[in-house]
Amino acid sequence: MSQPINHHPASFRDPSGFIYEKDGTFYRFVAADYRQDYDLLMKSGLAEELLKKRLLLPFTELSENHTGRADWYKSLQPQQLPFISYAWEWSFEQLKDAALSTLNICRLALQKGMILKDATPTNIQLVDGRYKMIDTLSFETYNEGESWIAYRQFCECFLNPLLIAVHTGMEVHKLMLSYPDGVPAAVTSGLLPFKTKLNASVYLHVHLQAKMGAKQSVEQKQTARKITRKNIDQILQNLHSLITNLSLPAKATTWNNYYSETILSETYFSEKKKLVSSLLESIEYNSVLDLGANEGEFSLLCKNEAMVISTDFDSDCINRLYKRIKEEKRTNIYPVVIDLTYPSPSLGWMNNERPAFFKRTTADVCMALALIHHLAIAKNITFEQLAAFFASVCKVLIIEFVPKNDPKVAGMLQWRKDIFGNYNEDLFEQAFSQLFELEKKMSVQGSERTMYVYRKK
Amino acid sequence: MMQLLYLDPGSGSYLIQVIIAAVLGVIFYFKSGWNWIKSFFVKTPPKTEEEKNESTD
Repeated sequence: MSQPINHHPASFRDPSGFIYEKDGTFYRFVAADYRQDYDLLMKSGLAEELLKKRLLLPFTELSENHTGRADWYKSLQPQQLPFISYAWEWSFEQLKDAALSTLNICRLALQKGMILKDATPTNIQLVDGRYKMIDTLSFETYNEGESWIAYRQFCECFLNPLLIAVHTGMEVHKLMLSYPDGVPAAVTSGLLPFKTKLNASVYLHVHLQAKMGAKQSVEQKQTARKITRKNIDQILQNLHSLITNLSLPAKATTWNNYYSETILSETYFSEKKKLVSSLLESIEYNSVLDLGANEGEFSLLCKNEAMVISTDFDSDCINRLYKRIKEEKRTNIYPVVIDLTYPSPSLGWMNNERPAFFKRTTADVCMALALIHHLAIAKNITFEQLAAFFASVCKVLIIEFVPKNDPKVAGMLQWRKDIFGNYNEDLFEQAFSQLFELEKKMSVQGSERTMYVYRKK
Repeated sequence: MMQLLYLDPGSGSYLIQVIIAAVLGVIFYFKSGWNWIKSFFVKTPPKTEEEKNESTD
């Protein structure tokens, strides 16, 4: 008799199989219907090649049917993912790399007689420092003469938001939150400037598609010409070179000069780095949540063996952090764009498919460095609310208190009424001691700031 | 336009792919000719093992 299993709430659309959880491990059920495609994936050498090129999430085949279902063909145990993020939490370069991985995977599949039947960012995750396909069942046999079924989906989920970001300055994570299924061609075409019509690739993939979409009738238009495999490969190559050449125009944001042009002294910065390093060394941890990470200077101090989720509300900072971890091959860091006062909500069918950020994120250690004044003063959140929040996400809290006489706080209060009579160290400690045990308290050299290490009661 | 909302996201894109394929076919034809000429004058450095793994080629 089989053990009880939990069907994953986000895995129901594809009849080829589904994800389930059993005793804390995630497995993939491969249905008998998918047998031919699965066998081709394995026997054609496609799976092997994708694994070699680090484009597919590694998995092992199990001969055990945990589900007891009659339509069972195989059970797969994929490499377990420590953290899942969604496109509405990604910066430009992250969505771009996920797009390029998708195109590379599809081109390799085509060479082996297969094709991707869907192309959405939810099938692609950052694993071991590379955006990889996590859905083993997205491959299907390609029959000569067929078009790429996921072409429109690819454009809407990847190409269109990237183009809009480049040409209008809108951020990809905000676009993806508004359009979780992708930005339609008509919307994109309306947002892009006229000059993009002069670019042949953008014209074909966006403007022409928008024009045709509006005119097309429900019946599939009969065309005399058939598409060949070579045609699809050319479309994939063209999309690849178009996306490779996309980059965000350089601009100064609120935070990207924070470290270089800040009024805070250099001593402060180097002393703080030393202090945080030594604190991290004194704690045992496997996971870290760095909130308000900026460009991740302090996330990078965490040990390589630990999973580090670095969040900031500024997508440019997260973009730079992502580029940096790519260059430095820091595979343990997961950068995400999160506004702590508006964290990603639960989305999808019955709000169950894509859980809210804090429903999938907890850590041994939480770092809140130079963050508290942004929440307490800029957003009027009380110390009691902050303590309750931190207690819900971590066991150990490394938190920096920024006093009122600090130049940053003074700057924040310069143009607004000071209604923060309760903003002081004593009341901060009082609120946090309700839920936490104080382990360490020390001043940060080169500033008036104080660093605390709290352990949850 | 409203009728389209009931369609699968993949459908309706056959015709556009035919058109794009035709245009790209022409571009690739000229490009490969150009690359053939260029190959006589420009040497491309061989890829490292890592680059080979990270690209599709």
